[in-house]
Amino acid sequence: MSDRDVPDGPTASGYAVELRDVVKRYPGGGDEPVVALDSVDFAVRPGEFVAVVGPSGSGKSTLLNVLGLLDDPTSGQRLLDGTDVTSLSVGERTQARKESIGFVFQDFHLLPTLTAVENVALPTAFDPGDASDRAAELLARFGLGERLDHEPTELSGGQKQRVAIARSLINEPAVLLADEPTGNLDTETGESILGEFERVKSEGVAVIAVTHDPLVEEYADRVVDLTDGVLTGGIPEDDADDSPGPTPDADDDARRSGRVRRGGRQTATTDAGGER
Amino acid sequence: MASDDGVRAMSRDGSAGRSDGLAGWLRGWGPAVSMASRNLRRNRVRTVLAVLGVCIGVLAVAALGIFGNVLALGADDAIGDIGTQVVVSPNNDAGVESLSDADVASIRRAVDGPAVVPLYSDSATVARQGDQTFATVYGVEEPALAYEAAEGRLPERHRQGAILGAGIAEDLSAGAGDTVEIAGSQVRVIAVLVESQTFSPVAPDDAVFLPESAFSADGYAQALVVSDSGAEARAAADAIREAVNAREERVDLFELAALVDEINEFFDLLSTFLLGLGAISLVVAGVSILNVMLMSTVERRQEIGVMRAVGVTRRDVLRVLLAEAGLIGAAGAAAGTLLTVLLVAGLVIATPAVDAALVIDRTNAYYLLLALVFGVGVGIVSGAYPAWKAANERPVEALRS
Repeated sequence: MSDRDVPDGPTASGYAVELRDVVKRYPGGGDEPVVALDSVDFAVRPGEFVAVVGPSGSGKSTLLNVLGLLDDPTSGQRLLDGTDVTSLSVGERTQARKESIGFVFQDFHLLPTLTAVENVALPTAFDPGDASDRAAELLARFGLGERLDHEPTELSGGQKQRVAIARSLINEPAVLLADEPTGNLDTETGESILGEFERVKSEGVAVIAVTHDPLVEEYADRVVDLTDGVLTGGIPEDDADDSPGPTPDADDDARRSGRVRRGGRQTATTDAGGER
Repeated sequence: MASDDGVRAMSRDGSAGRSDGLAGWLRGWGPAVSMASRNLRRNRVRTVLAVLGVCIGVLAVAALGIFGNVLALGADDAIGDIGTQVVVSPNNDAGVESLSDADVASIRRAVDGPAVVPLYSDSATVARQGDQTFATVYGVEEPALAYEAAEGRLPERHRQGAILGAGIAEDLSAGAGDTVEIAGSQVRVIAVLVESQTFSPVAPDDAVFLPESAFSADGYAQALVVSDSGAEARAAADAIREAVNAREERVDLFELAALVDEINEFFDLLSTFLLGLGAISLVVAGVSILNVMLMSTVERRQEIGVMRAVGVTRRDVLRVLLAEAGLIGAAGAAAGTLLTVLLVAGLVIATPAVDAALVIDRTNAYYLLLALVFGVGVGIVSGAYPAWKAANERPVEALRS
């Protein structure tokens, strides 16, 4: 029952999501289990944009699945909004996803039969109350106010990804998880999508993007590297001081400076947070 | 426990969870049906084929059920009240020549309910205007208990005049009010009976009924026991055997209730057999729904994974998929029912031999309803497995593909 005491600690530290010493093993081809996450410590503050980079097969998707309550860690602890959510039942996990987590996928994953506004309202479609007003509002915010009733096939890639972002925000999540959000978009569209992420994080949402795209790294407040299941730079370095996470203005600065110092970043991706 | 509490605490509006009872359960079906119908429209050809399968299955069940039922009803109609009469005759083998008043009284006591009509019996020549025929003549006091008049009126107590059977009346071209000559004496006809549907030793069609006073015999030749149903007739026959034949076999009983039961059993069997034939095609339709739903859930694996990932519960995913299968079943069942009605109507119009009254019998509506329910049920049952499978797939796996 020590779990019960846990929430107070991290809540005080103000992380939107946190992994403590998380290990994820998969049953491998036979002899040895595959270690996808190896003692991962990871924390993201509200309003922080973190990019997770690393080679393919290094466990990035697993990290995202564990963070997004789609998969459970083999061992370690997982906290969401300061609440221990390490081991929940399937139903509780679904409920927690609906309440606290937003997903943005590389392939957008919009339901082809639903209009833009219905896709945005999908997470709450089966709940009491009509969320379409809020969905329309969100779409308008992302510049799609004219396309509420369009189906996904009538939208461009960038528009689809905006719809997907709006969908991830319908539940006012604490954490937005993005899997290669710019992977299927050209650079210009990708940049505008990253601009939307900036706005999202300025509203206090923790944004975590798994990516190969250097552009995402430029926009990120912090870049963490995951190689062979080992995460480097998972905890903000200024963890000691009590500042409640970066302010939107500071983020902007960070992005600009990040863009300027792009070349330097690429050589030292593990130098996360140091730029600030 | 701890994490459970935690999740609840996280909930923004505490009650919005799953504890919203029946109203919430019903409300969830609205969006589920709406999504389901759109999913069905995505692959129209496949949906239409699945609907067609159910339609044919329902048509088979309903049409064969109704055919069987019409056959049974028709047979019932033809057999008529064969099973509702018991004829009691004196047992000549035991030396009993006629039924005495005491016998009739004890029969009346035994049957308790069905009317007992004792008859004198003789035969005589019946003639009118040159036509002449030989007929059985019955003496009966209360003809109205056992027979119905087609013409004229049957008196409560038969005191004078003759009642003609339908056959004789036709032979002699006699109607109520005419006069016929029976065994030499002129008698006015007071009524003509309706043609008998009954197969019975007491065949009224070729008989003439006179008042009891016309006979001078010292005992009744027969007694009719007229019941409302086959079961009552059987009970009456048993009671007579027990009471009147207790000490010696004074009377013979003639009853056809058992035969009628057998005939009914045969038609029940025939109906079941026809329904079974129809059910096979409905099962085939169910398999086609199963196939369609499995294909469509495999194709939409990722979509379902996305729904689960963004927080749609397993229950709601299940609902969408069950609604799809249910809609296929319902559409097929509705179309099949409509087709059955048209088919049966067409058959009635095309075949004059089929009695329309039998077809619009209430029991046929029961077969239509049965087929309708079966169609929807087959849809839901065959959709259950694919839906359950898809709803329970882990979103991680579904999204990976």
